[in-house]
Amino acid sequence: MNQIRKNISYDALVIGAGIAGGEAALNLANTGYKVLLIEKDDSVGGKMILLSKVFPTLDCAACITTPKVSEIGRHPNITIFTGSTVSSIKKISDNEFTATVHKKPRYVHVADCTACQKCEEVCPVSVNDQYQYNLVGRKAAYIPFSICDPKAAVIDIENCTLCGACERVCPTNCIDFTMEDEEFDLHVKTVVLATGFNLFDPLKIPRYGFGEYKNVLTSMQMERQIAPTRPFHTILRPTDGKVPDRIAYVLCTGSRDVSVGNPICSQICCMYSIKQAQLLMGALPMADVTIYYLNIRSFGKGFEEFYEQAKGMGVNFIKGKIGKITEKENGNLLLRYEDINEGKLKVAEHDMVVLSVGALPNPEAKTLFADDLKLDSFNFVDQPDLMASPAKTSIDGVFVAGTASAPMDIPDAILSAGSASSEAISYLMKQ
Amino acid sequence: MDKRRIGVYVCHCGGNISDYVDVEKVRQSVENDDNIVLAKTTMFACSDMNQKEMVEDIKNHNLDGVIVASCSPKLHLVTFRNVTQRADLNKYTYVHSNIREQASWAHSDNKEGATEKAIHLVKSAIAKARHVEPLEPSKIKAEKSVAVIGAGIAGLKAALSLSEKDTHVFLIEKEATVGGWVAKWKDLFMTDETGDALIKRLYEEVKRKQNITVFTNSEVFANTGSIGNITLKVKQKGELFDITVGSVLVATGFEPYKPKEDEFGFSTVPNVITLPEFKQLIDHEKDVLTYNGQKVKNVSFIYCVGSRQPEGENTYCSRYCCTATIHAANEARKKFKGIQNFHFTRGVRSYGKQELLYAESLQGGDIYFQSYEDDLPKVFVRNNKPVVRINDILTGGRELEVESDLVVLVTGMIPRSNNTISSLFKIPKGRDKFFSEIHMKLRPVETVIDGVTIAGACQGPKTIIESVNSALSAATKAYSNISKGVLETDPQIAKIETKDCTGCEDCIPACPFDAISMKQIDDKAIAIINASLCKGCGMCTPVCPTDAIDLIAHSNIEIMGMIDALA
Repeated sequence: MNQIRKNISYDALVIGAGIAGGEAALNLANTGYKVLLIEKDDSVGGKMILLSKVFPTLDCAACITTPKVSEIGRHPNITIFTGSTVSSIKKISDNEFTATVHKKPRYVHVADCTACQKCEEVCPVSVNDQYQYNLVGRKAAYIPFSICDPKAAVIDIENCTLCGACERVCPTNCIDFTMEDEEFDLHVKTVVLATGFNLFDPLKIPRYGFGEYKNVLTSMQMERQIAPTRPFHTILRPTDGKVPDRIAYVLCTGSRDVSVGNPICSQICCMYSIKQAQLLMGALPMADVTIYYLNIRSFGKGFEEFYEQAKGMGVNFIKGKIGKITEKENGNLLLRYEDINEGKLKVAEHDMVVLSVGALPNPEAKTLFADDLKLDSFNFVDQPDLMASPAKTSIDGVFVAGTASAPMDIPDAILSAGSASSEAISYLMKQ
Repeated sequence: MDKRRIGVYVCHCGGNISDYVDVEKVRQSVENDDNIVLAKTTMFACSDMNQKEMVEDIKNHNLDGVIVASCSPKLHLVTFRNVTQRADLNKYTYVHSNIREQASWAHSDNKEGATEKAIHLVKSAIAKARHVEPLEPSKIKAEKSVAVIGAGIAGLKAALSLSEKDTHVFLIEKEATVGGWVAKWKDLFMTDETGDALIKRLYEEVKRKQNITVFTNSEVFANTGSIGNITLKVKQKGELFDITVGSVLVATGFEPYKPKEDEFGFSTVPNVITLPEFKQLIDHEKDVLTYNGQKVKNVSFIYCVGSRQPEGENTYCSRYCCTATIHAANEARKKFKGIQNFHFTRGVRSYGKQELLYAESLQGGDIYFQSYEDDLPKVFVRNNKPVVRINDILTGGRELEVESDLVVLVTGMIPRSNNTISSLFKIPKGRDKFFSEIHMKLRPVETVIDGVTIAGACQGPKTIIESVNSALSAATKAYSNISKGVLETDPQIAKIETKDCTGCEDCIPACPFDAISMKQIDDKAIAIINASLCKGCGMCTPVCPTDAIDLIAHSNIEIMGMIDALA
C-alpha cells in the first residue's frame, strides 16, 4: 500500500467526538487553542445524537445535540477527523506528545457529496443498520443517519461487492474507490480522552433470551424506536409488527451484577427507562408499561420529581429481579420474578421486553497509548487525584472527560468535560 | 426603502413539529405573502446541512431578512443569528418564530388548530421582519479578574483553576476560615484522604498563588456594572472596599437539613442525632463509641430526612446521603468493636462506583430495611432507648422493631437560607430553591445573568467530585468570557426619544437593573439609559406616559405589526 505519512501538529488532541469530547474541544477552541478532534465513527455526536429525548427536561436529543455538533464543525480552531483512530501516544517531554493517526478511506469525497442518497437507492447490498441498532437494514453505500455530521455518504467496504452502481449514479462524481488509508505523525501538547462507554451485551445473560426471542429488545433499540428519526414512525414489536400494549423494562441488565463481571451501578439506566416509559405512555396511550427494578436511583436534579411524574402517569413500578424470560407461541414473553413487596414468586406476561442495559468501560482507551495509561479495577480510566482533580490521569498532561472514567449522565459528562478542558488549558499555559 | 426580501424556513423538528403541525400548509400559506422571496420546509433547521443551505440561499437570493419557524428561541435564536452572520447579513435581521413549544407541543390534541396557530405565528414573524433594522453590538473592555464567592471545595478549586490561567481571583468567604463543609469532615468516601487534609492541601496551593487574594470574614453586599466590568462592595469585619472584576463565580454551597421538632423523634426522643453529628462523633471517639456516656451498640439510620418529601420544597433527592451514610456506617463498624448498623432506607441509591461501599456494608453484616412510601418508620422511647419501627418491604411487609442506642437521621442538603447573593446578582432559582442553570443538560454552570456562573452544591446536591468538576467547568466558562479582554454587548436595549421625554421619572422605579438615570440637558431634565446596564427587558416602555421609550429590535412598529398579523 502506498502510504504517505504527513506531519501534523496541534495544541490539543481530543479523542472521541461524543458530547464530552465535543464540549472539551469547544472549551479549548474558545480560549484560542488549536484542537484536533478524532472520531472513529463516520459521524460526530457519539451516542447522544442517537437518543430520543433526554431526562428530565424531555428536550429532543437531536435538537440540542445538532447545534453543538454544528458549532464544533464550524469552529475555526477545531479540525475534525472522522473515521479515524489514534495509536502509540507517547509523551516525549512536558507539553510534547507524539502519536500516529490513521484515517481510513471513506471512498467518498465529503466536500462534493450532497447526500442525495442516489447511491443508497442503487446499492444492491443490504446489511443491518448499526445506527438503528439492527432494527432495520441499510445499504453498503449509505448516509450513516439523517442528522449525521458530516452529512455525506460512506462506503462500507467490508460488505461492498464493488459492483460500481453507486459510482455510476453519483451526480457529483464524489465516490472514489481509489482512496487509500492515510497516516499522520501527530505532535500535540496535551491530550483529552473522551472515549466514552460501551453498552452491555445482553447475550451474556442467556436466561433473558435476547437474540433468541425477537421481542426482547435492548433499551438502545427502544431509544431508536421513539426517536424523531425513528425507523418505523411508530413502535412495533419485531416478530409480527404488532404495536405492543404490555411493555416491560428489566432494570440492572448487566449492572450491579457480579455474575457478569460488573458489580457497579450504571447510573443512567433507571432514568432513561423512566423517560422511555413516559414517552411510550404518550405515544401509545393504551399501553401498560411496567418497570421491574431493584432500587430506583433518581438522584440528580429534577430526577425524583420525574420519577414521581412517571408514577402519576400510570407507569407500574415493581420491585423485583427478573429470574428468567421465556417465549410463548404468539411471541409474548413470560417473565418470572420475585415480587419483593409481596414476598412471592410470580410470572407476568408482556408482549415486548426492554432490557435496560448498563454502561461498561471502553477498554480501547488503554490501547491508544505507547506509555502505560493506568485503568482502575473496573477498567475505566484511573483518576489518581479523584477528589481534587478528577480529570487527571496517570500520565501528566493527559486528561479524561465523560464516561471514559465512570458511568455518568449528560450533565455530569458536560461537567467532567469542563473539568478536563480546564486542566488542559492550565497545562498548556504552564509552558 | 427598497422592498424587503425575506426567506422563511419551516422546520419539521424530526416529528416534534410535523407530527401535529402541517408544516407544508404553513409554508404554502406564507409563500405568496408580500416580501417573501423563498419559503421552504426542512427536517432539522438546526442541522449543519440546512445551515449551509441557508447561507447559500441568503447569498443567492439576496435576502435581507430570515425567519426560521422552529423551536424556542432559547434553544436556537443564536444558532440562526450566526447563520445569517456567516452569509454576511446583519445577524439582528434574523427573526425567530416558535411553532414547537407554542404550537405543536401546546396543541398536540388539535392538529388543525395547531397548524392555524403556527401560520399566525409565522405571519407575525414576517410582520416583524419587514421592519427590523441592522444593529451593531458595542464592544466593552473586560477586566481579567474574577470574584469567587464562597471558599468551600468548589470555590477553592475554581480559584486555583482561574489563577493557573493568569486571571486574578478575589476569593470571598464569609466564615473566618476557608474550606466550607469539607474542612469539617474527616473520612470521605472513595478516597483515603481526609476532608481537612484535602482542604489543607488546596489552601496551601492557594497561598502560594500571588494572583489569588483571599478575603475571609467577608461578604458582598452590593453589585453594580455588568459582565466585563462588575464592581462589588465587600465588607470585611466592618471595613468597606470595592473590587472590580470581569466575572463572578458563585460557589456558596448548601446547608444541611435541620429536622423539625419531633420529626422521627428529633429533640423529643433521647439519642436521636443527625448524620453530620454522627460523623463528628465517630471522628472524635476512640476505641469505644459512646454517646451521652453510654456505650453504643445498635445504630439505626433513618434515610431521606428532609429529602424526597411528598410536598413542599424538598421533593428532591439529596444524592450524596445514601453513600455518605453507608460509608459512615462502614467506618464506625471497622473502628469500634461490637457495632451493629441498621439501615431504614427508601431504596438505596449508591450510584456508580459507590455501589462497592454498599456491597461492603452488606458483607460486613449491616442490616437493611426499606419502608413503604406512604408508611415511613416511627421512632419512640422504650426502656429509655429510642426504638425504630418499620413495616419492611424487604421481608414482605413484616412489622419489625430495632431497639437502638443511637438513631441517626440522614439529613439531606438544602439550599442556603441567606438570599443576599441570589438577590444581589438576580440569579434565578428552581422549584427546589437551588440556583438555576441556563440549561439543565448542556449548560449546567452558566446562568441567564451574563458573567455570573454557578459551581458546586449551590446549583443542587453534589458529591465532592461532582462539585470539583462543576467548579472547573465554571472557571473555564468564566475564563473564556473574559480572556480576550473585549466583550460584545447586546444592542437590543431601550432608547429614549429626548424630545418626547417630559422628565416625569416614572421609568426609573420600573427598571429592575438601575439602568435609567436623570440628566440635565439644557434647561430640561430627561431620562437616559446606561447601555451597559440595560438588558432590554422592556419594563420601562409601558410606564412612559408619552411613549418616549422604544425598545430597539422590539419597536412599537414591529410589535404592532405582529399583533395585527396575529389578530
